Amino acid sequence: MEKIVLPEIENFHQLDVYIQNAGYEAAKSAFTQTTNQIIDTVKKSGLRGRGGAAFSAGLKWSFMPKNNDKPKYLCVNGDESEPGSFKDRQILERNPHQLIEGTIIACYAIGAKSAYIYVRGEYHKWIKLLQKALDDAYEKGFVGEKMKETFGTDFSCNIYVHKGAGAYICGEESSLMNSIEGQRGYPRVKPPFPAQNGLWGNPTTINNVETITNIPPIIKKGWEWFSAIGEPKHPGTILFGVSGHVNNPGVFELPSGTLLTDIIYKYAGGVIGGKKIKCVIPGGSSMPPLRGDKLEGVKMDAESLKAVGSAIGTGGIMVMDEDTDLVRVLARIAKFYYHESCGQCTPCREGTGWMLKILNRLVRGEGTSKDLDLLITIAKNIEGNTICALGDAAAWPVKFMIARFREEFEAVVKDEVSLEPKNKVHSMRHTANPIAPVQV
Amino acid sequence: MPKIIIDGKEIEFKPGQTVIQAARENGIEIPHFCWHPSLSVSGNCRLCLVEIEKMPKLVISCSTTATEGMVVQTQSEKVIAARNAVMEFILINHPLDCPICDEAGECKLQDYTYQHSVGESRFTEEKNHKEKRIELGPNVMFDGERCISCSRCIRFCDEIVGEKELTFIKRGDRVTITTFPGKKLENPYSMNVTDICPVGALTNRDFRFKSRVWEMAPTKTICSGCARGCNIDLWTRNNEVLRITPRQNEDVNSFWMCDNGRLNTFKHVNANDRVSGPHLRKEGQLIKCGWDEAYAKTLSELKSFAKDEIAALASSSLTVEDTYLVSKFVRSTLNMKNFDFVRKVVAGSGDAILIREDKATNAKGFELMGVEPGKSASGGGLKFDEIISHIESGRIKALILIEEDLIGWNPAFEKILSKLDFLVTISTNFDASTSFANVVFPASTYAEKNGTWINFQGRIQRIRPAVTTIEMERSLDGMSQSRWDKFGTDFDSWGKAKKNDARPTWKIISGLASAFGTKYKFTMAEEIFNEIAHTNPLFTGLDYDVVGENGVQLKTETVKKKVTI
Ligand SMILES: Cc1cc2nc3c(=O)[nH]c(=O)nc-3n(C[C@H](O)[C@H](O)[C@H](O)COP(=O)(O)O)c2cc1C
Ligand code: SF4
Ligand code: SF4
Ligand code: SF4
Repeated sequence: MEKIVLPEIENFHQLDVYIQNAGYEAAKSAFTQTTNQIIDTVKKSGLRGRGGAAFSAGLKWSFMPKNNDKPKYLCVNGDESEPGSFKDRQILERNPHQLIEGTIIACYAIGAKSAYIYVRGEYHKWIKLLQKALDDAYEKGFVGEKMKETFGTDFSCNIYVHKGAGAYICGEESSLMNSIEGQRGYPRVKPPFPAQNGLWGNPTTINNVETITNIPPIIKKGWEWFSAIGEPKHPGTILFGVSGHVNNPGVFELPSGTLLTDIIYKYAGGVIGGKKIKCVIPGGSSMPPLRGDKLEGVKMDAESLKAVGSAIGTGGIMVMDEDTDLVRVLARIAKFYYHESCGQCTPCREGTGWMLKILNRLVRGEGTSKDLDLLITIAKNIEGNTICALGDAAAWPVKFMIARFREEFEAVVKDEVSLEPKNKVHSMRHTANPIAPVQV
Repeated sequence: MPKIIIDGKEIEFKPGQTVIQAARENGIEIPHFCWHPSLSVSGNCRLCLVEIEKMPKLVISCSTTATEGMVVQTQSEKVIAARNAVMEFILINHPLDCPICDEAGECKLQDYTYQHSVGESRFTEEKNHKEKRIELGPNVMFDGERCISCSRCIRFCDEIVGEKELTFIKRGDRVTITTFPGKKLENPYSMNVTDICPVGALTNRDFRFKSRVWEMAPTKTICSGCARGCNIDLWTRNNEVLRITPRQNEDVNSFWMCDNGRLNTFKHVNANDRVSGPHLRKEGQLIKCGWDEAYAKTLSELKSFAKDEIAALASSSLTVEDTYLVSKFVRSTLNMKNFDFVRKVVAGSGDAILIREDKATNAKGFELMGVEPGKSASGGGLKFDEIISHIESGRIKALILIEEDLIGWNPAFEKILSKLDFLVTISTNFDASTSFANVVFPASTYAEKNGTWINFQGRIQRIRPAVTTIEMERSLDGMSQSRWDKFGTDFDSWGKAKKNDARPTWKIISGLASAFGTKYKFTMAEEIFNEIAHTNPLFTGLDYDVVGENGVQLKTETVKKKVTI
């Protein structure tokens, strides 16, 4: 089976080995094409973003303004902080040059002279590995001013490795840009979108590390080849990071559309102790969980997962066996989003804390069945009403975990306990209609 | 003009306007906390969510640009549900200390809770706790629990003042406001954050716990701090000024005012050193006397000097009306030439935001009225510096000093004033200069009278009485009244407000003139203004109603005077 992103070649991370295996030749051929041709190839290949939203990469590139004097930027997102997601660091470790080559090609295609590869702050080791590879590439003239000579082109670009400071929210694209600018990691209100108003107010494209690493093979082998791999609507291979109660956890590069059960049983060695599966989160902790008794036939690609009420996310598959306490799992997930909410917008700032407090109460055995409905309402009140998708990421697990595993939650709540509201506020809404307008 | 439909009503908008702006201009108020007309859009409170046809999700109206034909719902079920949800989220961790919160009564959160919240909370957990009573700077106190993280205060410092002093720290519901390391919130405009803070998180340290908001009455008037003339509200309770807040005027000060104006321009009104009743110096002491006695004494003293032995100096903050009568009196009745105004320009004290170097409120007014301060007055009299040197050399022996503490302004003048044989002052407060006076007439402050000032732009603006004196009854001038003023009785301890026996300068001058045998027919400042409006082309067509609450820009180019300010 073909490996596109993580080829099984020894020492592929070393520049000379990479070059021996036709490294940087995709870039060379890219510079002989027009930028439109490249964008077109990427569009036709069907490559979809691997950072969570599975948005068409070629389409995103085409949003970059053509007739615009402003500097343009590329950001490569290696913040990888979603629980259950640990695939990008495999690329940083095992295939950094393909990432660098993909970055150069992307820069050329969108007209960027600078690219920032933003890597999660905790990835000390992987930042060093990437920096080493980048230094080598600079030295050999594949990046920077010297690339003009190396590739015989007018184009050159610089690549910078930017270290995050330990915030999940900085993986959100606009927050990431603020972070690079030295601002607080606050997501920006969209529109305007990055292609209009990105880094320092200039047109910017943001792609995930894995997305970019797919680019050189597509350029080299053509879009027809790529689009024929896996599911037609979400083609190519996907890095599936499997964790949880499996015998052989790890990252597996498999064609999109591979059966979830195959991934768990054939590649990840099945469930520890041969137990039954209670729950699988298929795409990183923010994606809606699937019931263990409903995994038959579930294919791992964006469209198939959508059809069964979940999403591909970052392909981080978290497997939980029959003994797992889902109430505690959900409380732990909620704690993560509570901890990582940037606190900028009201529903997410307040709602994540509220949900966590209720869930902690459930864990302590002090919940009532009213709490379950309340949790779902809070989640719904956050969902879709926030500046960035972290609000949704915090809401979905709560909403879907309770909806899909209600019996697990009903089992820990008492019905007779009924707490009176402690905090009553008064309102004239029901007695009088709109009163005097409020000053600015 | 393009049109959008909001709640079924077709309204016009200017291209580029956001939905919230278009709505607001057409009288449709979309509730909001973080949006402010003079600040950038932060989109964080999520209260202004509206439903727009063909958009899959609710969108925030503060950052959504209006487009032709857009159909907006601000009252649909979905919108109201979202608004209720946002209000519920904001309130779950809010301390609800309205009973002890200064903001209560003018709090956006309180008002919106009545208007847009369901009135009952489903939150049964322990509320978050944060630090309270943090001194962000010399003038502003912060309460972390009340803060709703709207970022208005941060944006104000960044965008209006251009001083990065405030920032958020921490994440999630631990977020709070603080100053940058080693910095304080101490820019010259810092207290504006207390006005724009939609809750009681930022409070005015000078005003904290002084009064409930609804027990005071706001009077629309003008700041007396400098030549900008920021539009303000003077807040009074029981005949006492308790605070000043800025009043929006896009032509002058937008929503803002400086801290100096807010803090240092009203305390003298209620101060214990107010001059109440005329005073005569007897055996070295200033002793209170009757008005007639003071007029008679002034008359007899002034008559004992030759005309060129007398001079008059007046503040550049006199009202247009006071100025008119003062110069009429000095020039016609006294037939005196040595008359000038005291300029108060502090070089380097101005900025590009509001604060002007000229600390007087009406210098431009004199110039436009033809009495140029610092220039030789018409008819060849002495100007300020010459008057001073003539006093020093003993050639000028008597001085009429009007609403100006010369020594307080510059201690060097102590030596000068001590040389005079006769000094009569018209003063609001006893000060360094009155200690040399033979006669002191009690002047009303700007907070006790009607009048107009002309700011540095040539804009004429009205001041209004907020505090009563013995001689002026509040009702006469249509002053606004607080609950206390309206419903207080003699049995309430606060009902016995202190009132000073003081008069506006024009009235004192009028009395003095009549002692000299000249009768002016004026009984109200407004009548003087009307006379000026009839005689000076600059003021043609103006009256107090026309000047109104926001002032009128004078057509200064019609005046041929050279501009010296
Ligand atoms: C809270 C949050 C965290 C995110 N974290 C990451 C991340 O760590 N890595 C990533 O590639 N994308 C992350 N994303 C998605 C990015 O915003 C963006 O969609 C993505 O980088 C685009 O790349 P792609 O189109 O190649 O998938 C995150 C989004 C949100 C809302
Ligand atoms: S949704 Fe949450 S993380 Fe995103 S901007 Fe709002 S508060 Fe911040
Ligand atoms: S202190 Fe007031 S103005 Fe500042 S963020 Fe908090 S609520 Fe908003
Ligand atoms: S700028 Fe001048 S007029 Fe405005 S508040 Fe300050 S002192 Fe008063």
